[in-house]
Amino acid sequence: MTGYVLRRIGQMVLALLGVSIIVFALIHLVPGDPVRTALGTRFDQEVYEALRARAGLDQPIVVQYFTWLGNAVTGDLGVSFRSGVPVTTLLLQRLPATITLAFAALFVALVVAIPLGIVSAIRSGSRLDYAATATSQVAVSVPDFWAGIMYILLFSLVLSWLPPSGYVSFFEDPLEWARHLALPALTVGLISGSIIFRFVRSSVLEALNQDYTRTARAKGLTERQVIWRHVMPNAWIPIVTVVGLQLGFLLSGVIVVEVIFAWPGLGRLALLSVQDRDFTVLQGAVLLIAFMFLLINLVVDIVYGWLDPRVRYD
Amino acid sequence: MNGTSRSRIGMLVMMILAIALIVAACDSGESVDTGETTTTAASGGETTTTAGEGGEDTTTTAAAAPEGGGILIAAQGAEPDRLDPHLTSAYASFQVLENVYDTLVQPGPDLSMEPALAESWEISDDNLTWTFTLRSDVVWHNGRAFTADDVVYSYDRIMDPDFGANNAFRFASIEEVTAVDATTVAIQLSRPTPNLLVNIGAFKGMAIVPREIVEDGTIDTNPVGTGPFRFVSSSPDQGIVLERNPDYWRASEGLPYLDGVTFIQIPDPTVKLTNLRSGEVDWVDTVPPQQLAALEGDSSVVVQRVPGGDYHYFALNQNREPFNDVRVRQAIATAINREEIAEAAQFGAATANQTAIPAGTFWSYDYAPFTASDTAAATALLEEAGVSDLTIEFLVTSDFPETVTQAQVIAAQLDAIGVGVEIRDVDFSTWLDAQGGGDFDAFMLSWIGNIDPDDFYYAQHHSTGGFNFQGYNSPEVDQLLDAARVETDQNARKALYDQAATLIVDEASYTYLYNPENINAWGPQVTGYEVRGDNAIRFVETQLQR
Repeated sequence: MTGYVLRRIGQMVLALLGVSIIVFALIHLVPGDPVRTALGTRFDQEVYEALRARAGLDQPIVVQYFTWLGNAVTGDLGVSFRSGVPVTTLLLQRLPATITLAFAALFVALVVAIPLGIVSAIRSGSRLDYAATATSQVAVSVPDFWAGIMYILLFSLVLSWLPPSGYVSFFEDPLEWARHLALPALTVGLISGSIIFRFVRSSVLEALNQDYTRTARAKGLTERQVIWRHVMPNAWIPIVTVVGLQLGFLLSGVIVVEVIFAWPGLGRLALLSVQDRDFTVLQGAVLLIAFMFLLINLVVDIVYGWLDPRVRYD
Repeated sequence: MNGTSRSRIGMLVMMILAIALIVAACDSGESVDTGETTTTAASGGETTTTAGEGGEDTTTTAAAAPEGGGILIAAQGAEPDRLDPHLTSAYASFQVLENVYDTLVQPGPDLSMEPALAESWEISDDNLTWTFTLRSDVVWHNGRAFTADDVVYSYDRIMDPDFGANNAFRFASIEEVTAVDATTVAIQLSRPTPNLLVNIGAFKGMAIVPREIVEDGTIDTNPVGTGPFRFVSSSPDQGIVLERNPDYWRASEGLPYLDGVTFIQIPDPTVKLTNLRSGEVDWVDTVPPQQLAALEGDSSVVVQRVPGGDYHYFALNQNREPFNDVRVRQAIATAINREEIAEAAQFGAATANQTAIPAGTFWSYDYAPFTASDTAAATALLEEAGVSDLTIEFLVTSDFPETVTQAQVIAAQLDAIGVGVEIRDVDFSTWLDAQGGGDFDAFMLSWIGNIDPDDFYYAQHHSTGGFNFQGYNSPEVDQLLDAARVETDQNARKALYDQAATLIVDEASYTYLYNPENINAWGPQVTGYEVRGDNAIRFVETQLQR
């Protein structure tokens, strides 16, 4: 197990290195130039050259990459060209809001998806199953920006229950933290929940049709015992997989929802850095997101073995 | 085994929740005062702010200033990029910096230049030396006294060719800046510069900054100015927090009234307005014109619209055929209908104009040679030029969505003369790249915040102008613009600009479309705020009545 984890960590480092090369190459292929963007329409060749030189952007790309990599290894991700602030500071400022929203949305998603998915599978073909499946189809299809605006208009403007946007840290005011978190968590959580619901339903349904389930029923166990002791343990693995993927997706910053709710997360930072061609920030943000994705994958794989002893790592 | 597996799931859920809580807990920020505590705003009629149209003065009779005027929450649509006034070009940054920094002189309510850090100035007989007398009662937010050395330092920084200040071009005629004594600064010019005051004071891009925050590298993260509000903090979750500067040089007038201003960023315009209507924020910058009708009937919102100095235009690439033929440009300029374009893009919050400078100012010039939608004249011009089967690619950007709308309207209008339009909608970075590289048939954008006619015409239309991407080259216009630059007699100077504008419009170097109105909105609790023609956001005389 330890060997397995160490091997996986080694793979993670290699993957991150690959990601950094790809990102670096991609952002330099896209048209647009950070210096021009910073200058706006008031372009002046001398000013342009001076700014480029000062930011080291006049160096060949390969030199820029290795300079960046050398610093990154020591934890220095560079300075944002757009704001003059160190990239690590910018990322750390945004990380709490992103993690808060990701876990809150996942909480909403699990609370909705797991019970509903299990019940829908057990009573598949029932009215409840049809209703739940249809609702999840709608929830996945409705664009998140539209749903978000509708929630804001309803809960903030019409009912005056919740603030329309913004983020308050938990330590500052737990109640306001929850009030500000509710709508974005609902918007994202229902979409993730609908995706997870479908996986829960299908994997429970699959386990219900297995021979061991028939055997369990045949030997006279109650339906409750059949579900919890024979069906669910076998259904968890695909569910954990999709939950891990959803969490990775949520942590990578739900850009549209962050924009709608003025949520100060990584997604908005990444968006701004793309708009302004702020290469160092984008590079840092993508690396952080990739790292979180890889970390979640590792955790999910470890959880597999924990949930199902048949999974071996050697 | 099965039983334990179940409890493991329970543990997993618990762990996820625990991690969520720990992370939330790690995020400790400074607390922010939402300003609901202080409500000692002067409800009596002590303060009268008359900001009438031609009113030179904003008369403020505040014997006893209302101490503790609450904290105003201002919502911006865009995020400030950086806070170094000499490096940023972002309007969102200047909304904040306007309230933190000062310039030597600044535009007054009618946009004529008035004293700020400089009390008065004298011009030498040869017009080459300007001597500014500075206020002696100004203190930096860090407590140090403001002196002439600060002015010299700031201007040298802007002029340093290795530094790359955005507004270095405004200092092109300045040879040297010297401190004569602690409160006197002399500016030595290479040529007469009648618009020097605008060049050094039009907006906070030419702010006076203290040397120490440049040298310790905190100018972007902890700006220190001389303005009405002091910078406290900036973070993505709490926005940019400013507090009242008790040592402000207009403190004897009781200014500023507010205890502070907090700028928060709300990118979505609908959500921004919802925050205003639900009272979460007190003030919002730009209002989408399509929301105007709804907002103006809403008693919980005050909307103010003011004719602005901005203009929208498009330019045809004169380095490309057939746009190098003036008749083709003229055909397009007369086939379009500016009223329709303005109405579609700004929902009536704009005035069509065939020149750049809006009506109602000293420099405006009433000239409109093109008849709207004159398809007969346009077709004749195209025939004369021997052009048929013309398709124009319009370079526009969704980052300024009105340019897309305008291109759509123009496409419909040019269809009437058989000219096709292909709309190339890219993001602004790509747009700038294409514009700079000359990779366009036509580009469309707006110019904002210009005050002096030199700002309106020189860089855009002089053959050596830095922003003349359309490739206009008229020796006559060059001559007129060069002469107007150094003409110290105001009326003679205006006459020169009128002649230049006539040529620029006639030859369609730019095809001007309209001047949009400047629009801000705020809650009824906000008083003493005025939308300005230059779109500067000044909260110095603003009050909150909660």
